[in-house]
This record gives sequence, structure tokens and C-alpha cells, in this order.
Amino acid sequence: MGSGGEEGQNEPELLSNLTEPSDGAIGKEDLQRAHVYALLARVLAEPMSEETLEIVRALEGQSDENELGSAFAALGSVAIRTPRGKAEDEYSALFYGDGARGELLPFASFYLTGFLLEKPLAKLRGDMAALGIQTSGISKDPEDHLAFLCEIMHGLITGAFNQPASLETQKKFFETHVAPWASQFFTDLEGAESAVLYMPVGTIGRLFMAIEAEAFELVA
Amino acid sequence: MSKTKKSRRDFLKAAGVTGGAVGVAAIALTSKSVKAAVPESGKSAGYRETEHVKKYYELARF
Repeated sequence: MGSGGEEGQNEPELLSNLTEPSDGAIGKEDLQRAHVYALLARVLAEPMSEETLEIVRALEGQSDENELGSAFAALGSVAIRTPRGKAEDEYSALFYGDGARGELLPFASFYLTGFLLEKPLAKLRGDMAALGIQTSGISKDPEDHLAFLCEIMHGLITGAFNQPASLETQKKFFETHVAPWASQFFTDLEGAESAVLYMPVGTIGRLFMAIEAEAFELVA
Repeated sequence: MSKTKKSRRDFLKAAGVTGGAVGVAAIALTSKSVKAAVPESGKSAGYRETEHVKKYYELARF
């Protein structure tokens, strides 16, 4: 709680306690997690705008000393070769489809039950209410769209909704609403027929979900 | 407990969540699909939910 004035210089263990979200300060690692969720939410929610493309293009040349870094770098270099119109066409083919539905349906209900607007959505709404989160009304998709879930994870980490949520709360939300299907979705995205720009997005998502799952295992 | 938190940090660092993906730091949310449920009038989410469900059924014609 209100211990912001304490110094932790000579007490690394204490310092790591003080930088937990519950104290209002978000650790560097957790901030980065939030950024990755923000990136995923942004590219899944709608076709990449020119601004989003510019941000993504800047990922080119990222350190590729690990798998995740390589995936970001790959996304950057594909984005450099992708004009906005093409990005939009790809998004449409993946998520809207022409006439029929798109290749993929990024909804928890669909992945977990085979149908849209099913129990996982109802459970999510209950948990969102309990966490004090509601839809803004801007998006017309049901809340169990993966972009929503990534935004919620982002908000839980950063405190964008109310205050930063504890790791335990984050873990519970992740394990209930994200982990059971997001890896499968990202794997599908990676291998989707229309995915070029979104192939590395799938890779990033798949790797990141595995990292998150393992990191949450370290939360007692 | 703090030891657990420290190993979690180390793990995230090693996994490339920090360092490897520095450029990601520049990214902010724009879509804002969700927001805090500020209880403006103390009303619960019940009513809104009904409205949403209705809307989703309307819109979810795949």
C-alpha cells in the first residue's frame, strides 16, 4: 500500500516487493508485458492503420537473440513490405471473409464451444463486472474477442481501469479466459492461408502466451 | 515470496519480454474496446448487459 517513500537501494528483495503493482509502481517486466498485450490488441481489433503500420515497421531490426525478438523483427520486416491497403485486405480475409466468414473467429466462445456467444462469454461478462470493467461500446464485437481480452490484460497490468491488479488477479483472469484457447488461435493465425503480415503476429502471440503461462506458474 | 517474484522477473527477462522487444515500448492502445466500469449512478452492469446481448445478437450474423 502507501509505501512509496521508502528507499530500497540496499535491499533488493524489499525493492522487488515495492515495485509490485499493488504499490502503484509497475515493474519494467510487467510494463513490457502490457506493451505486448497492447500490440496484440491493436493488430487484432481492426485492420492496421497507417500509424499502427509505422509502429510495427519500427520493430524491424529488433534484437533477434531469442525467439520472441526474432518474431518481432520478422513482423517489422514484413510490415515494411506491406502497404496499408494490402494489410487491410489481409485482415478482411482473415477475420471478415468475403461473403462468408473470415478464416478465423477470434472468440473464446467459438474456440471453446464451437459456437459464438456461448457460456465463456457469459462467464467473462460476470468476471468483467466483478473487476469493474465494461465495454466502451466502440467495438461491436462480443467481449470474448481476443483483442478485448488482450486489452483487459493490458488494463489489469497497468491499472488503466482502476488500479493495477495483483499478479494473482491477472493470473486468474489469464488462466480462465485467455490460456484455454489463445495459443490455439495464435497457432491457427500463424498457419492461416491468408496470413502474411499476420503470420509473425501469430508467432508473437503463440510465444507470448507460453511465456505468460510459464511466468504465472511462478506466482505462488 | 519475493524470491518467487524475482525468479518470475528473471524468467520474463530471459524470455525476451524485456530487452529483445524494446520497440514495443512505444505502443499504446488505441482501440479502447474496454474501459473501467465507473459506477456513474451506482447502477450495476445488469441493464447494460441486456442491451449488449441484444446488440450482439443483432450484429453477430455470420
